[in-house]
Amino acid sequence: MGAPYNDWRVALLSPWPRWVLAALAALALASVLASWKGLRGEARAGRRAALLALRTLSALCALFLVAEPALQLLQTARVKNRLALLVDRSRSMNFPLEPGGESRAQAAGRLLSDGRPDLDRLGSEVSVEAYGFDKDAWPADLSALARGGEASGGRTDILGAIRAVAGGPSASGRRLAGVLLVSDGADNAGLADGLSAQARAELRALGVPVNVVAAGSEAPRDLAVERVAVDDFAFVRSTLTVEATLRARGFGDESVQVVLRREGSIVAQTTVRLEAGKERYTVPLSFVPDTTGTFVLTVATPVLPGEAVAENNSRSFVLRVIRDRVRVLLVAGRPSWDVRFLRGLLKQDPNVDLVSFFILRTAGDNPGPQDELSLIPFPVAEILGEQLHTFDAVLFVNFAYQPYRALDIERYLPNLREYVKGGGAFAMVGGDQSFGEGHYAATPLAEVLPVDPAEGLGSTAELFRPRLTAEGRRHPVTSLVAGEGQNEAAWGALPALPGLNRTLPLPAAAGARVLLEAPSVLANGAPAPVVAVREVGTGRTLAVATDSAWYWGFVAAEEGQGNRAYQRFWNNALRWLVRDPELTPLQIQPDRPTVDPGEPVGLSVAVRGPDYGPAPGARVSAELVSDEGKVVQRTEGVAGADGVARLEIPAPPPGAYKVSAQAERPGAAPERAAAAVSVRSSGPEDADATPRPGLLRAIAEATGGTFASLPQRGLPALRLADPEVVEVGRRRDVPIWNRWWYLALLATTLGAEWLLRRRWGYW
Amino acid sequence: MRRRTFLEMAALGAGSLLLPRTVRAMGDASRIAVGQLEHGGRWNPRPSALRRLCWEITQRTSIEAAGDSVPVRLGRPGIHRLPFLYLAGDGALPPFAEPELAALRRHLQYGGFLLVDAADGSDGTGFDASVRRELQRLLPASPLGRIPREHVLYKSFYLLDHQGGRVLTKPWLEGQALSGRLAVVYSQNDLGGAWARGPLGEWEYDCSPGGEAQRETAFRIGVNLAMYALCTDYKDDAVHLPFILKRRS
Repeated sequence: MGAPYNDWRVALLSPWPRWVLAALAALALASVLASWKGLRGEARAGRRAALLALRTLSALCALFLVAEPALQLLQTARVKNRLALLVDRSRSMNFPLEPGGESRAQAAGRLLSDGRPDLDRLGSEVSVEAYGFDKDAWPADLSALARGGEASGGRTDILGAIRAVAGGPSASGRRLAGVLLVSDGADNAGLADGLSAQARAELRALGVPVNVVAAGSEAPRDLAVERVAVDDFAFVRSTLTVEATLRARGFGDESVQVVLRREGSIVAQTTVRLEAGKERYTVPLSFVPDTTGTFVLTVATPVLPGEAVAENNSRSFVLRVIRDRVRVLLVAGRPSWDVRFLRGLLKQDPNVDLVSFFILRTAGDNPGPQDELSLIPFPVAEILGEQLHTFDAVLFVNFAYQPYRALDIERYLPNLREYVKGGGAFAMVGGDQSFGEGHYAATPLAEVLPVDPAEGLGSTAELFRPRLTAEGRRHPVTSLVAGEGQNEAAWGALPALPGLNRTLPLPAAAGARVLLEAPSVLANGAPAPVVAVREVGTGRTLAVATDSAWYWGFVAAEEGQGNRAYQRFWNNALRWLVRDPELTPLQIQPDRPTVDPGEPVGLSVAVRGPDYGPAPGARVSAELVSDEGKVVQRTEGVAGADGVARLEIPAPPPGAYKVSAQAERPGAAPERAAAAVSVRSSGPEDADATPRPGLLRAIAEATGGTFASLPQRGLPALRLADPEVVEVGRRRDVPIWNRWWYLALLATTLGAEWLLRRRWGYW
Repeated sequence: MRRRTFLEMAALGAGSLLLPRTVRAMGDASRIAVGQLEHGGRWNPRPSALRRLCWEITQRTSIEAAGDSVPVRLGRPGIHRLPFLYLAGDGALPPFAEPELAALRRHLQYGGFLLVDAADGSDGTGFDASVRRELQRLLPASPLGRIPREHVLYKSFYLLDHQGGRVLTKPWLEGQALSGRLAVVYSQNDLGGAWARGPLGEWEYDCSPGGEAQRETAFRIGVNLAMYALCTDYKDDAVHLPFILKRRS
């Protein structure tokens, strides 16, 4: 024998489906309507009412008997729903509730300890569940929360926490009747930009009142570099403007200096006048990057006395400085088809900014009066002197330095050598005024050339077919098509060339490589180089020891090959000369240019061998170098089968770092590459700890909850939805249709109507 | 040996001794040679013209020109070894076969240059009529048009503002452009007639109406044409602008 039934409701026991019952009801209604229609002509209202009443009663009785109504006896129980108590445990809760007072976390703890009796009372209606939250929500001990200890969460995600306690994995099976949220509202996740329409709709859809107790309303005194707006890349030698947004709270009228630093040195600075009541300042900082590469830049302000957070007074970012266009200087000793096609190719290339000089007449030429000519003096001092560093590559095409005594070009050759060693690119293209024929052997330029332009070797006019060397087979400069075999075939199909400057290959130790040689033209008994490259210092040089490379384009075009090989060769050569990042054998790529405090720096280092194929097994090391040039972290690894090494450097202190990688490749010189990464000095939680009572109030309003602010004595009034629900235990049906007198009533009404109709003459 | 032949050879020998410098280029392929197109009409009306022009170019500029022109026939292999082609004629020109035109079109499209010279000084008849027909077939999308006086062709070496030639049928040159570059230049003024010089040093034709000044201009145009073929728009580079403006002012 169980507990007694404590509730009831009416139920239908008819075995017929509901639609049959509905049809029968319609039939009954139709019979009443038919009766009413038939009685419209009856002048005596009493008779009409009596007959209509009898018909209606009969229809109701019939329906009652068909539907078989019963009383359903129920045994029910009342179950308590949940109240989720969500307490913010992010680091912003460590800031004082009011200047000089207790922290927000302590105030929240005091609210819970003072309100403990209220919570206990609530326990009779709802089941109180306590959670702490920052970027996640987790069940917590209410007593621990009430102690209000130091908070440590690195992010605040209010919406995520509400979502989690409402229906997420941390929720229990029972329904949520309400939320009590204790927070400063300093959200830096989904509600960082306020309560959006989408977030508002989501909160409403939960159907749960969120009652809010706001911790803090006054922003602490703080100066922060809130945002830095700048493109990911900038063009070298073009002015770049970095737009920093400062946020200053709690300051009067005073000036602060804002600086832009590039790896330790100040590149731009300005002074900002803070005004009382004004919070945000946009500060433009402009500078002109003078070299290409990846750099870490930092916008910083001084830390002023009494500031709440010192770490948010600087913000670093990574900037990639690239060439807008490759600036090429082409100097030609005389007009020729070789330089004509090369210049045409470079002029057509939108990525090349070409400055060209042709020697159109020599001292021995006699063209007539000077003022009838369009010739200009060769500005040797300007282009090979002061402006030389502005060029990414310098090409000498059949250019001799000697014949022009008045210009004294020889004086600038050391400058050109230093330009190459310091990272410049130089190419010498053949002709009767190049290499040994141009008497370069004894010049400073010979120190950086990729071949030995020895005197006396002379040149040849005989036709020859260049052949790829072992190093030329996979070098990017001589890669006309993908695949070693196809590339060799592509070179083999090109026309033979007439004319070659005889030069000598350099010893291996010089860092030079012959890529293409002429097997039929010997210099000191060995095939003469046709194309050679060299890395000197941080620069690169190229030698093309023929003045007929244009045959690979124009002459090949007659044979149906088009001029693609010629274009490809020179495009490759130029890209390699100016160190196009895609053609460097070592590439380093940080997973992210900026990491949060405490996060490790992930790096991918791709290594190519001397043949420019992947270099599995290459030993790779990477180090983080600080602004001051000090190595702060170092790690090592080995490249996998794809030539890529995955490295992870343990969390470095906040700051800007150069990432320098080095690869030891079997049979090749070590390669170096650099990138940059910055570790944020403060995460988003520290960057802005301003309380946002407005956001919290909006949450309360959107969900129908209550709003209160700390300090509070005891819990504020809470609004809860359905604190209890009724659950059914047992049930029993007691039929009420199966009484005999229902049937008798039906027979009586039907019989009475029949009798009266007979009597009043309706049949 | 006839006396006249001996005298001609002796004169040529003396001329070669007067050459001011030795030819230094790395073989013939490195020198700038002009390919003269053979065709069904009178294709070489001024046999000495290009030789003299090349000599003048070598004397006046740093270009290493070849000693003489090279006869070439369209449709035969080898025309791409000569990016500068010369088409001359005296009288009507039979139509080129389509494969011949296709070969010439390909040559020009890949960077070649064609100088067309009407030796008969015709205008609307003879060589002029037939070559206009052929040039229209050659580059139908690039009709012949007058080359403006500001064009870089008139400042590629000499600063020029008038025309030269044996005659002055037209006081301008016409051209057909490809990708912003003059691929064809057409003169109706018989440039070759002004350039032609006999083995004894005499000019083969008088120039009218301008006489020797007109001949000098014809050579200057020839030099500028060679410079343009080799340097294209080099003289349009910004660095030249102030100098040229100053000299033209």
